Amino acid sequence: MLPEFELLMPRTLPEALEMMDESSKVMPLAGGTNLLVDLRGRLSRPQTLINIGGLDELRGVRVEDGYIVVGSAATIADLKRNALIAKHGQALRQAATVFANPLIRNRATIGGNLAYGSPAADAAPPLLVLGAEVELLSKDTRRTVPLEEFITGVRKTVRHPRELITAIRWPIPPEGSVGVFRKLGLRKADAISVLSIAVMLLHMDTGDCDQLRIALGAVAPTPIRAAAAEDLLDGGPLTPEVIAQAAQLASEATQAIGDIRGSAAYRKRVITALVQRLLTNLAKDTKEKKH
Amino acid sequence: MTAKGKALPRLDLPPLRQVGRPLRRVDALGKAVGTTVYAGDFTMPDMLHAKVFRSSEPSAHIKQLNVNKARALPGVACVLTADDLPDGKLITDMPGQTGQERRKESDAPVLAARGVRFVGEPIALVAAETLAIAEQALKLIEIEYEVLPGVFDPLEAIKPGAPIIHKPDNIVASWKIRKGNAEAGLAAADLIVENTFRVPFIDHAYIEPEAGVAWMDDQDVINIRVCTQVVEHFRSIAQAVGVPHNKVHVRGTMIGGGFGGKEDITVEIFLALLTKETRRPVRLAYTREESILAHSKRHPFIITHRTGVKNNGRITGAKINMISDSGAYPYLSPYVLLYATVTSCGPYRIDNLTVDSVSVATNNPFASAFRGFGGAQAAVAYEQQMDEMAKALAMDPLELRKINYLKTGDFNAIGQQIKSAIWLEEEATQALAALGKKESVSDDAIKIGQGFATTMQSYGRIMWFHDTSRSWVGIEQDGTIVVRCGAPDLGAGQANSLCLIAAEVLGVSLTDVTFYNSDSAVTPLAGTTTATRQLYMSGNATLKAAKMVREVLLDRAAQHFREKPNNLDLADNKVFIKSDPQQWLSLADLSKMCAVDGLKLQHLALFAAPFADKLNPENLQGDIFPDFTFSAHAIEVAVDTKTGEITVLKSVGCHDVGRAINPIAVEGQIQGGSAQGIGYALMEEVQVRDGVTRTPSLSEFLIPTAKDLPTTRAIILESGTGVGPFGAKGIGEPALTPAAPAVANAVANAIGVRIHNLPLTPERVLAALDRAKRG
Repeated sequence: MLPEFELLMPRTLPEALEMMDESSKVMPLAGGTNLLVDLRGRLSRPQTLINIGGLDELRGVRVEDGYIVVGSAATIADLKRNALIAKHGQALRQAATVFANPLIRNRATIGGNLAYGSPAADAAPPLLVLGAEVELLSKDTRRTVPLEEFITGVRKTVRHPRELITAIRWPIPPEGSVGVFRKLGLRKADAISVLSIAVMLLHMDTGDCDQLRIALGAVAPTPIRAAAAEDLLDGGPLTPEVIAQAAQLASEATQAIGDIRGSAAYRKRVITALVQRLLTNLAKDTKEKKH
Repeated sequence: MTAKGKALPRLDLPPLRQVGRPLRRVDALGKAVGTTVYAGDFTMPDMLHAKVFRSSEPSAHIKQLNVNKARALPGVACVLTADDLPDGKLITDMPGQTGQERRKESDAPVLAARGVRFVGEPIALVAAETLAIAEQALKLIEIEYEVLPGVFDPLEAIKPGAPIIHKPDNIVASWKIRKGNAEAGLAAADLIVENTFRVPFIDHAYIEPEAGVAWMDDQDVINIRVCTQVVEHFRSIAQAVGVPHNKVHVRGTMIGGGFGGKEDITVEIFLALLTKETRRPVRLAYTREESILAHSKRHPFIITHRTGVKNNGRITGAKINMISDSGAYPYLSPYVLLYATVTSCGPYRIDNLTVDSVSVATNNPFASAFRGFGGAQAAVAYEQQMDEMAKALAMDPLELRKINYLKTGDFNAIGQQIKSAIWLEEEATQALAALGKKESVSDDAIKIGQGFATTMQSYGRIMWFHDTSRSWVGIEQDGTIVVRCGAPDLGAGQANSLCLIAAEVLGVSLTDVTFYNSDSAVTPLAGTTTATRQLYMSGNATLKAAKMVREVLLDRAAQHFREKPNNLDLADNKVFIKSDPQQWLSLADLSKMCAVDGLKLQHLALFAAPFADKLNPENLQGDIFPDFTFSAHAIEVAVDTKTGEITVLKSVGCHDVGRAINPIAVEGQIQGGSAQGIGYALMEEVQVRDGVTRTPSLSEFLIPTAKDLPTTRAIILESGTGVGPFGAKGIGEPALTPAAPAVANAVANAIGVRIHNLPLTPERVLAALDRAKRG
């Protein structure tokens, strides 16, 4: 059963920040799909939960100064059906469609997915390729942290106990950008990722690609960018040779470990195979577009 | 889809009006709208909440156990340890049956006294005013272990010098088949094919974890409301608690899935002890994690087939070796091993056969019953072996099987004649035809494969158990019907089938029948809902009782109409003259007439399965099961050769069920059984390392979701030759058995190489492809 805790129900964001400020033994609660499981298993022992899931200020997706801004309490289901996300966050939308199961998608929030700091968080690789930032607010402070710096280790983030994630934002990708997400789980739904990959790029009329980004999940202590692979590909044509080389580099960027879901060697090997496949499909799309 | 059956045996009943029609199940609405009450839903005034303190060590001596602090905690009503108990055992041999196979002194104690043999073994019980206090009390229990060396691999456990779980050695059970001359058979072969297959521990993962509530009444009877497949555990519970048999009353509830995991005693003895000690109602409900820790698993098996075959496809002889991991306590391991042994060579005629089987104790979680009960593990091996032989002979897999299939009237591996229809060839042909052509894919990395399996699975109990069932059928004065039968309903439609049989015989609609079941004191004892036996056993008992009521009704109506009973029939809540249906009388009026005359309108019937003597374990030759169901399953898969992912594209199950009492329920069984079989093949594994499960919840122990399963097409054949009511055979376990080997064969067909171990994880697929590449 759940341990005893105090549950606070703020009505506004300022009220929530006030409550967050009162003690360090508090934990924000939004969808609760990770937190309640951990509470039940005594993996987390906050004395006070502050329910931010119902705060209007934290919901919704909007355009603001050339950015897409997603409220931290937007659910995964919200992302899945949002037109702005479909247009300006393709990889994220794909991740939202294969995220856990419909019940979890209705509860789980994008902020919670990142705040939990899991290397296997399915929202993280798409947000990494989008160049997302995390907006953190406390009673007295406001800061924005690039997602790459936000998650620092397994279940570790730079969020201060008094801070709330209020929004996730990324610059609107240039027209023509495409993003893809691929997750490998041990079953077709409701599975923790064995590994995940997001790729985003902009096809140029020249046939070269631009602004290419690759991010990988569940193959290192945090979700990571495959920088060496990106550098190799970015600005050039996606030839089979260079794709193969980049896929290899992506795999080398991982620090995969073995667990009950798969060995380190398997993860590295499949990263190579899937990065290669995703890039090859994207290259094919360019060619088809040109002809 | 129903194929035209062979001639049905003559029944002394007019043509069937309701049996065989796809009627809505009597239990459907309650489940759909949530009015069905399950064991975990019950509470009582003044009720205590129980928790179980369990071992964290797989093999240890208990140096010290101190529960004083827990007892002193305010709100704790009672803490029990082995010191407080009579020398009770979790006795789990076949309840209500004869035949004892487990070794003396190897039964699990109710609570561990001196030592523990697996992680999760119960050590102490707590009952407290609230669940929170009970949980707190668990933390106050002090235990000091002296860790002892354990053994976690059955192959290690049978080596000299291995730690001994139960004296004198770790062999829990062994069986042998000796038929003809296997050596000579192998010597006569043109080709010998040898393979070793392995299957893992898996969890039943029923939707409803174990739960119950117990109380003592004013007769000092311990009442236990619980979800169980076996209300007749009341005797074992009474023995364990130290009260007479008639002082324990098990009131079974509708069950949210059993699959064999609720065949052994779960919470009952704990509840009985705590309520007896406190004289207050007590509730105990497991969390999912505790359920996985506390209940049995499917036995892992290591199965080696060495088969000799002629170039023309005829099998000349086989040697089969089976090793199962029983875990820390035997439970039903000897019987699971027996089922596996009896079906070890599958539905094939092999005149020269040697089978050696052992079940081995380890410090792993204990294994016991699981849908398919050894027969499913055996099938994973023999059906993959058949495909490997076909490959070695460059022969079509169905052709090879056709040459070797048992035919109706043939004698099986243990020399038992199969008298019911064996329609394997028809089933395989229909299943493959329904599968159709392989889907085509443009991506070279994706390989499509098809495979099938044909299997035999017994229904009904081992004949030397001398199995019986009872059912009571009565008609009320308004013409409605009551069926009382102790059969627990696992959600598979057991109660519905019994109601349908009564409705058919007595000419009322299904909604006019009310059933009472699963009560060890109030409903007639009907035996266990296991071994695919309830339709066969209690179906026959209900048929018999309903016919007795029918006879009384027709005799009285015959007087009324001045007709012979044979000229009358019952239908649509009426009795009528067959040749002149305008002359009728309502069943309500007829029932009242009978009551006025003091006629017996309620009948209790007993059905006894054919009895046989125990077989010699050194050769196992003779009759052992009342009958078998023969089945086929065909599967198409897509395999991603870059990632190893497998997608099941098509699934078809084809089963001769003898007679489909309710085709909707039969389809449900075929779909559910195949889903479970596909999960067994692809993903299910309780991973255990050094006795500790690494898959402690449903987040790690994966079962297929709707996204992992295509809709299984169910093809129902009806030979009418089963020994159940109206010629029915059993379908509960047979529905599962062929699915897993069919998946394995489809995957091997897709990638051209065999993976010998289940589950077929993506990683194993890639490893197999690597092996094939290396040659």
